[in-house]
Amino acid sequence: MDGTYKRGSWEEVMDWFRKRSLWMLHYCTGCGAIELPPTMTSRYDMGRFGISPMATPRQADLLLVTGYLSTKTLRRLIYTYEQMQDPKFVIGFGSCAINGGMYWDSYNTIKQLDKYLPVDLYIAGCMPRPEAILDGFLELRDRIESGKADGYKKYKKNFEYYQKNQEAVLGEVQRTQ
Amino acid sequence: MRTEEETMKLITNRFLDCNVKKLRPQNLEAKVPESITIDILSHLKSHGYSHLATISCVDWIDDNEFELAYHLFSYEDRINITIQTRIDREKAKYITAKELWPVAQFYERDIHDFFGVEFEGNDNLEELILENWNHTPPMRKDFDTRKFVNEQYEWRDYHEQENAD
Repeated sequence: MDGTYKRGSWEEVMDWFRKRSLWMLHYCTGCGAIELPPTMTSRYDMGRFGISPMATPRQADLLLVTGYLSTKTLRRLIYTYEQMQDPKFVIGFGSCAINGGMYWDSYNTIKQLDKYLPVDLYIAGCMPRPEAILDGFLELRDRIESGKADGYKKYKKNFEYYQKNQEAVLGEVQRTQ
Repeated sequence: MRTEEETMKLITNRFLDCNVKKLRPQNLEAKVPESITIDILSHLKSHGYSHLATISCVDWIDDNEFELAYHLFSYEDRINITIQTRIDREKAKYITAKELWPVAQFYERDIHDFFGVEFEGNDNLEELILENWNHTPPMRKDFDTRKFVNEQYEWRDYHEQENAD
């Protein structure tokens, strides 16, 4: 929070609800897509934390970027993110989203996801195991409750910064909204 | 059903200056001159080698040549043939195989993306995999990936905190 804005008690109540019902949209780009099925299904069972998959961006709260992003995929990711409704949260999976990972010298993959989209949480690992993913989800729940997961507000506030970075690698980006 | 030797004869009987080699069972390799490659492809297609698996390209920068490899397969003979031909690297231009196999259009678009080879007669060579690429085609050996990455992307600064203090 940036000091000028104080969370009202209504907001706090809403956040309390939000953290208990997260619909996630997993954007399966890399190998993180393989770690998610065990996380979803009975062994690790993310459903007990109120997190379930959602099919469409407009109904989802949580965007998972599960691995490396080529510039071509980044464009589609931006479209997807901008279609989602507030409040929305982004989680970057694995070292590829953090600093390029094993694709660090690839001509066609981006190196830092947070320059293009506001990332609320990174889960380190190559790839993170379901335990680490669940740990990340729990951390996100805490951040949502305390109002620290405000990436979507930052995206609006610093839109020019994100737009500049996006257009530096992609050229013109069509805005869906 | 032909054996490998019979298939080799199938090529060499018609095209004398072809160097056909058996690599291992069910795998043949033919190095052929640029001028008769399409004829050979057409000849093989009419003798059962109807499946074009892919077209691949190799950049032999020291020889100043690109090598195009057409991978064919016959369902009757169960033999793979690789037809390899070398074209000039500076000119980087060849004839399309799309009249023989319509799918060749996509393979040629792919090669055009990554190696910048033009295919005469292929009217759709727009970008297939890359987007808004105005640099050297990335799979050419003289494309300096590291340099490009340094210019295009920023490395994450892990010493931000230290520098700030």
